[in-house]
Amino acid sequence: MTEAFGYRGYIGSRSYFGQNPPQHVQNLVIRDFCRRKGFDFLLSATEYAMPGCHMMLNQVLTELPVVQGIVLYSLFMLPRDTEKRRAIYRRVIDSGASLHGAVESQSIHGAADAARVEDIWLIRMALPHCPTNL
Amino acid sequence: MTGFLSPDEIALGDRFVADQWLILPVEDADALARIRDRTAALAAGHLGMPLPNDPQHFLDRIGDRVGPARLNDLRLAVIQGLNAESWFRTSYHALARRALSTVVGNELAMQRTVGLSVQLPGDDSSLLPLHCDVWDGDSPYEVVLWLPLVDCLRTKSMCILPPAANARACAGLKGFADRTVDDLFASVEQDLVWLDVPYGHFLLFSQNLLHGNRVNLEPATRWSMNCRFKSLFSPYADKRLGEFFEPITLRAATRLGLDFRFPDGFHD
Repeated sequence: MTEAFGYRGYIGSRSYFGQNPPQHVQNLVIRDFCRRKGFDFLLSATEYAMPGCHMMLNQVLTELPVVQGIVLYSLFMLPRDTEKRRAIYRRVIDSGASLHGAVESQSIHGAADAARVEDIWLIRMALPHCPTNL
Repeated sequence: MTGFLSPDEIALGDRFVADQWLILPVEDADALARIRDRTAALAAGHLGMPLPNDPQHFLDRIGDRVGPARLNDLRLAVIQGLNAESWFRTSYHALARRALSTVVGNELAMQRTVGLSVQLPGDDSSLLPLHCDVWDGDSPYEVVLWLPLVDCLRTKSMCILPPAANARACAGLKGFADRTVDDLFASVEQDLVWLDVPYGHFLLFSQNLLHGNRVNLEPATRWSMNCRFKSLFSPYADKRLGEFFEPITLRAATRLGLDFRFPDGFHD
């Protein structure tokens, strides 16, 4: 059995919550995160531009047996569907790997981390419905 | 709109529209040799070796000297060295100057840094999954000038999905929403065409077609370069002018137009 090695980067080519930084900037943020964490960086996969498409993320998840983790440019690149996100957390944790959001500097190693990140996600989803002036 | 293009331009354009790729002999053999020789010299320098007498053989057999673990460091050293050469991008453009002018236009934007792919025999660590660059943030108005530095045949080359099969795959893509790129590959594998591009030729293709590579099952290493070109004034996508592209063949009338200012100082 191959020993897991390195952390696969994951960047986007479309806007997520209104954010669409250049791909080389996304990679810089991921590389910097990996350097600070002492991770071996594996070249990033780039998600397709079609809204709602996560085919490349699905592909990256198939690598879980052979990588130590996945470093997303942002946790907000995960699917908007809550059940799909939770399934990804479970899949990563069950494989003994970890999931990271580089720009947020947030990491998921276990269920407690996943719950914390999920809280952030749900609040982020609710923010557009909140008053902006009081 | 007839009679404006020459018969040769029409023929080449029609071929590109029909197939969305062209394989043609390079237009400047000296420029190609210079690029290949500098590539070999940079690789030898990185590995602490003397200049090779036969650069093409040296590149083909690089797998005898470096394994997958050190391959990316070698690749980066070589491509950073090449991109630092003042003549490099000019030479790269010269390889297909007429074809680019015919297929894309005479006022071009060129990718600022040329890419390099090195794929050892049997190595699965540097594969490029099936993709359309247009799905990854590139403009559908771009073309890729793909250049082999060694003979790239069969799995040592790249594969591409012909336009009709590509259209069928795109129409059915939503069926892969919860699946992977490997699943997509499996569904189109029988329609993929492996492009044989010998040294001395270039491949010009539309990245609107699905393409990629698989494990190189040939006995020698693939060395290929890639660089995107587009008409300077056609729409850009995520790869923007300035950060990813830069103008290379701005023409005189455009220069005058860009500099033009109406006389001012009038008020209603």
